[in-house]
Amino acid sequence: MFQELLILVPYILRGLEITLSVTGIALGIGLFFGLVMGILRVYGGRVVSRVVGIFVAAIRALPHILLLLIIYFLIARIISISAFWSATMALAIISSAYQAEIVRGAILCVSEGQMQAARSIGMTHLQAIWHVVIPQAFRHAIPPWSNEAAIVIKDSSLVYVLGVPEILRQAQYYSARTYKPFLAYLTVAAIYFLLTFATNRGLDALERRIRIPT
Amino acid sequence: MASGKNVIVKVEDLHKAYGSEEVLRGISMEVTEGEVVVLVGPSGTGKSTLLRCINQLTMPDAGRVWVNNVELTDPSTDIDKARQHIGMVFQSFNLFNHLNALDNVSLGLIHVLGMDKKTARDKALMELDRVGLKNKAENYPGQLSGGQKQRVAIARSLAMEPIVMLFDEPTSALDPELIGEVLVVMKDLAVEGMTMICVTHEIGFARDVSKRIVFMEHGDIIEEGTPAKMLTNPDLPRTKQFLGKISELH
Repeated sequence: MFQELLILVPYILRGLEITLSVTGIALGIGLFFGLVMGILRVYGGRVVSRVVGIFVAAIRALPHILLLLIIYFLIARIISISAFWSATMALAIISSAYQAEIVRGAILCVSEGQMQAARSIGMTHLQAIWHVVIPQAFRHAIPPWSNEAAIVIKDSSLVYVLGVPEILRQAQYYSARTYKPFLAYLTVAAIYFLLTFATNRGLDALERRIRIPT
Repeated sequence: MASGKNVIVKVEDLHKAYGSEEVLRGISMEVTEGEVVVLVGPSGTGKSTLLRCINQLTMPDAGRVWVNNVELTDPSTDIDKARQHIGMVFQSFNLFNHLNALDNVSLGLIHVLGMDKKTARDKALMELDRVGLKNKAENYPGQLSGGQKQRVAIARSLAMEPIVMLFDEPTSALDPELIGEVLVVMKDLAVEGMTMICVTHEIGFARDVSKRIVFMEHGDIIEEGTPAKMLTNPDLPRTKQFLGKISELH
């Protein structure tokens, strides 16, 4: 069995770079748009807030795998992008909707008085959001964001339906070739566990580091 | 210049309603330079709303407000710029929770007044010293007592060199033992000639420090006058009844 692992593990790890890229890019782009949409949701005024709200509701209402397929078959037909980018962008869009909700919730946790105090010393609305509300909301956002990161790590496996060879796809190839699915899938499970565990631990540490002294 | 004749705050026929609830029903008042005005009245009568309409944190439905001869209710006025010089102190302190005392005071200096960090730091330390909290500069709000928080909040406002200070029940959230240290700071300010409008039920402060007590009820100014008159011999029985009640308590 040890012999077999020597072959199996490197084979599966060939998909690791893709798994990490998909996760990292989707989370990163999702963070940027999630932040923008979350802020607009709270401060964007009625119309903008409503539009963002509808987008978020639509994304949250659909299975991720369905969105992946829709985006792939729609967008990839219009503009020429690879399966990798199509799938990654789909996951980024999905994550941005969830992250927008995280940002919204985190902003609402910051008391209204903070904004008023900032405005009372002459800060503009944007300055108050940026220098006073966001730094505090950021701290509230880390625990739910850690949860979202764990979800996106595992959602990265969905790109395999589009034929992108990430670790789960590699495991599937391996088991198809060797008829040994159990070991292959267990290895993948171990990798997902380690990735998620390390990410959550890292974010826990960040949360502790930037905790406001009391 | 101790003439105290310049009008710093002028409010004209201010109206504000929340739904069908009329909170301000045509308030007019003037506050001159160096004057300390205390607003009293039962809760829910619009005292805080009046303060917040002065610096436009709350938009009045009708009426006009001038501060230092600039009309704030004019839509073309840069309200952010005007607010720089209208200090406000809140009942719940509203210190920036993620910043220590020093940064709470210097944040506005850096981002609003455009000071460099070093200058802002020195200025902030000076303002903290003024409220007796230089030694707490590195402390976060969570590490300060209520009285200390409120003094930092006052320093934060003072750093912006306000032409008028608005106090919205600055001691109402404090333990009785901590009220004194805040009142001392406010009293010093008054002595230095700061123009102040204070919503407070600290009748001792009103008697010793203020030049005028304004009694509000149901969104109207019912009666106003010097502390001597208002506390001993007001015109209206209702004023006497209310001020008598809070005098007993404090």
